[in-house]
Amino acid sequence: MSDSPHSSRFEELLPAYALSALDAAELREMEEHLAGCEECHRQLRLWNLDLESLAASVEPVAPSETTRARILRLAGGGTAPAVPPRRLPGWALFAAAALLAVAVWGVAGQLRLQGVLERLTAERDRLASQVESLNRDVAQARDEARRTGQALQVVADREVRTVTLAGLEAAPRASGHTYVSPRSRGALFYAHDLPALPSGKTYELWYIAGGKAVAAGTFSVDPQGMGNVKVENVPDVASIQAWAVTIEPAGGVPQPTGAMVLKG
Amino acid sequence: MDAREEEDLQLMSRVATRDGVAFTRLFELHAPITLGLLSRILARRMEAEEVLQEVFLQIWTQADRYDASRSTPRGWILMLARSRALDRLRRRDASRRREEVVGGEQAAAVPPVGTARIESAERQTQVASALKGLSPDQRRCIELAFFEGLTHTQIAERLEAPLGTVKSRILLGMNKLRQTLSAPLR
Repeated sequence: MSDSPHSSRFEELLPAYALSALDAAELREMEEHLAGCEECHRQLRLWNLDLESLAASVEPVAPSETTRARILRLAGGGTAPAVPPRRLPGWALFAAAALLAVAVWGVAGQLRLQGVLERLTAERDRLASQVESLNRDVAQARDEARRTGQALQVVADREVRTVTLAGLEAAPRASGHTYVSPRSRGALFYAHDLPALPSGKTYELWYIAGGKAVAAGTFSVDPQGMGNVKVENVPDVASIQAWAVTIEPAGGVPQPTGAMVLKG
Repeated sequence: MDAREEEDLQLMSRVATRDGVAFTRLFELHAPITLGLLSRILARRMEAEEVLQEVFLQIWTQADRYDASRSTPRGWILMLARSRALDRLRRRDASRRREEVVGGEQAAAVPPVGTARIESAERQTQVASALKGLSPDQRRCIELAFFEGLTHTQIAERLEAPLGTVKSRILLGMNKLRQTLSAPLR
């Protein structure tokens, strides 16, 4: 409760209090008095009505559609009257155009990237195929080098024995040579001018030792009629009585069954 | 209590219960004059619209704090707006504001539609008449206090007038306004 009784002094301060024009000391004094003075409250309400009239005397200004929409959205939007459609301002059209350009650029960029990716994928596949082919070539070259090395090992043996095979009736122009290395117990056979065989047939090399024919390997010939066989674990050279080539079913047989084409 | 104030009171009660329809109606009734007051105080249209949003956000969230024994709903809304606008004004550099006002960024008044325009025109006429009854010095002191939020001392400094003189001008001017304003405005 205020200790100060209602007086004309407070009534004089009230208009300025309503206007918020009181300085700090008078404001504090007025508020302390107002806390317990009904009459001042009543008069203050009247002053506030006057100020309301003063405030409401200004020229009204219609809020923009944006502000109106934002404010009414506070209350859920759906309950507010619909905002009439209006033309987009220039900046909005510009922004939309810019966004569209960015989107188109983005799609075009994606297509460009997709094209690059497809080209790179094709190039990768081509290179992978090349590498695979090269690997096959390398493996083949290594195999050939290995076989050449073994052949050299055979022919370099100073005790190497050479056996010449002559073409028989079925291939009279054909010839062949067998190089046998006693030291390595290996042998190399080369054939020349043998005719190409029909499908399902193969040439098979034999050596005869102790009166028995021993299978030494099958081979085919190239378009020039050349073919070769490497033989391992050849028995003692002195025990080999002869070398021969026959025409046998594909895959070879344990004992000769077909026509003999070379013998030596 | 006139019919308008009665409707306002009902709307305030409904807004306090988060009635969106009532809020929309309250906005349509009072937003134009509130924005007019904000534009008058702030002299910047965009800033005035920002404060208008703040004011109506406060109304939406704090309508239950409205005390009918202290003011009418319209008075509460306008004084909320005035208080927020003066807070903004005080944060501004005074000299910059004066330059801007002179520079022409003064908010252009956009005529509102419907009954608000008619009521506003009537009020303007009546208050203008009341203000005409004041001396220029009295009117200037009241306007500096109301629209710029200056205290007695600040007004005295601004006008280079004695403090006692400013206090007298405000007191006499407010009493004259009271006498001149007619009952229908209440």
